[in-house]
Amino acid sequence: MSMLRGFLVLTVFFIAGEALRVLLALPVSGGVIGMILLTFLLMARGSISDSLAGASQALISVLVLLIMPGVVGVFFVADEFSGQWLAIGIALVVGTLLSVFTTLWLMQRFSAQEAGDHE
Amino acid sequence: MNELSGRFQELLDLLSTSPALAIVLTLGAYFAGNRLFRLLNQPVWLPPIVISATLVSGVIAVLALDYGDYREGAQWFSVLLGPATVALGVPLYQQMHHIRAMWRPIVVTLPIAATMAAVYAVVIAWSLGATPEVLASLAPKSVTAPIAIGITEQLGGSVPLMMGGLLITGVVATLFVDLLARLLPVKDERILGFALGLNGHAVGTARAFEISHTAGAFASLGMGLTGVFTAIFLPLVFHL
Repeated sequence: MSMLRGFLVLTVFFIAGEALRVLLALPVSGGVIGMILLTFLLMARGSISDSLAGASQALISVLVLLIMPGVVGVFFVADEFSGQWLAIGIALVVGTLLSVFTTLWLMQRFSAQEAGDHE
Repeated sequence: MNELSGRFQELLDLLSTSPALAIVLTLGAYFAGNRLFRLLNQPVWLPPIVISATLVSGVIAVLALDYGDYREGAQWFSVLLGPATVALGVPLYQQMHHIRAMWRPIVVTLPIAATMAAVYAVVIAWSLGATPEVLASLAPKSVTAPIAIGITEQLGGSVPLMMGGLLITGVVATLFVDLLARLLPVKDERILGFALGLNGHAVGTARAFEISHTAGAFASLGMGLTGVFTAIFLPLVFHL
């Protein structure tokens, strides 16, 4: 029961996010706007109810399940881009290697600097 | 015999018009995928989602079901993606003290890394002769699915191709974070989590929650910020 209460809160924030997205013509999805709203509200309140924490935990733990239907679609567009799979594959793999390296390198460099400032 | 196959066809028609079959298929493949993943000693290069999605596709192909019908039935899950995205605000809030301590590296890294995540892939694909439609589908490859769908539609890309690129990116980002964490080396799980979320969206975030709650919170942060940043930045740049 209490988890459903948390789910209600999450869905209300999702709808609020969708409403803001449509009304203000924002290019960001309703889910993300709702997430930002929820984070700020929780920060302002300084506490979180057990039901909301429980419902969030439950949904996050099945995130992979929720994106699965979209993922299955990959197998059904294979023919459409037949000549380009090599380019797509290389771009994804090499591009991701480079961007992961960029992220780790920047984060480490600037967080080391941060630690240095405090010492 | 003929009569029986006619009835079998009738049964398939009935099942494919109700969401129950899609739900059974998706949930069944989800559990089977997780189980196989554990049986194979949890290979990093083959996350459960790939196993599960392959199983679903296999069943759809074998039973000659229509992917569109499956997708419609499986909407039950896709609908929950919205509230699940909102739910990511909770670990963000719970880990806010960690995030405050790291705000400077985050502010520096985010715009550069999120931009480069798109630029590397687009430039490489372009130099190898990919069409504009493919480029538009690859650009949001590091963005979480619900936001990426919106971006791809705005840029004129193909949503299924984008979803494929998204998945591959999530998987290889998870691999490369593990690999580079050892090579560089990076041990701070906050940095690893952030890199997982920024580059590998939901797949990376799921992996980060396996490392620790803190890594997961940083992954949610990385994923959320990348989504917001890319959603605003990409449509502006792409039209230049």
